[in-house]
Amino acid sequence: MTAAVMPTDRELIDGTLAGDGHAFALLVERFQRKIFRVARAIVRDDVEADSITQDTFVQAYTHLAKFEGRAELETWLTRIAINKSRDTLRRQRFVSLITLRADNETETMLEPVDDRPDPERQLHSSQLRVAILKAERQLSSQQKTIFRLRHYENLSLEDIADHLGLRSGTVRAHLFRAIHKIRKELAEWRTGRNVQGNDHETALQ
Amino acid sequence: MKPHYSEADLLETYYMRPGESMPVMMHLAGCSECAARYERLEVKMHSLRACAHEEKPETFWARQRIAVMRKIDGRRKRWPLAGLAAAAVLVLVLGGVITRDGNESPSSVQVVDTTTAPAALSLDESTPRRLDDSPWASDELEDYSAMVAWESWVENGDQS
Repeated sequence: MTAAVMPTDRELIDGTLAGDGHAFALLVERFQRKIFRVARAIVRDDVEADSITQDTFVQAYTHLAKFEGRAELETWLTRIAINKSRDTLRRQRFVSLITLRADNETETMLEPVDDRPDPERQLHSSQLRVAILKAERQLSSQQKTIFRLRHYENLSLEDIADHLGLRSGTVRAHLFRAIHKIRKELAEWRTGRNVQGNDHETALQ
Repeated sequence: MKPHYSEADLLETYYMRPGESMPVMMHLAGCSECAARYERLEVKMHSLRACAHEEKPETFWARQRIAVMRKIDGRRKRWPLAGLAAAAVLVLVLGGVITRDGNESPSSVQVVDTTTAPAALSLDESTPRRLDDSPWASDELEDYSAMVAWESWVENGDQS
């Protein structure tokens, strides 16, 4: 018994262009998880990421005839998604300028709930997470995009550069700036902790 | 002897040059304390990433696929109307041109009469290519303009 042969991306593209709607549905199914992950990594919001994913596929469908196949379809879709995510970040940045930042609420929302037994490690993870979150707020949309693709998607600097059409050195510079801000946040957190005494450790013991 | 690396130092190594920063890597190879610290940092970072990648149920993906196909279908359904409207406008405009110029140049009437309008009326509803061909839907122009802007941005990035 032979296994069913999966159609290639190219075959599905050709099918779509020939009017086969099912072919495009298969393409969506093939790549929607990856696209959603990338979008969510950048915008940090499931609803926005869902919307960006849908729009990415609609735009890809609309311009599919222009896809020449020089890059992989996945790369092309990822680029569209990243571009849309960056637009969303810019919008969010604008909105954040006119709204109050509820730091404490966000920290509570992001408190880790994993089941690691070591309370100190959990505390450090939480501390790192909050430092990252605070540092992210100070980044430009470009820096944020780069940092989040590195942090959440674990993309290499070269892959990020490729997706964004930037030089690797430029990506490195943006990332360095982001890390510098995280380090600063961590240092401030520790300074604050020292001033307040060791309440956190005591409470966890 | 080289002082130990702090977690903050190692964070930079983790993000910027994982496995490539020779001084740090050499130090880690000979310093069990820093090596353990780096290992703990990696575990922390992986756990943070894992928390961020909560998997969605299959129903979420199915709903998303349906939403995509509905949006595409909605656009396809709008297009015959847009095409007809465009054709009607063209007919009116070209009709005016023909009426005005009819006595002067019969050959120009034939050229105008056989170009865009019939093509717009004979659009095939099933292919996405059709969406690109018609210049009349504002949504499409908006998307296309976004794509062009993005492509320009990529090219500029390449050149920089």
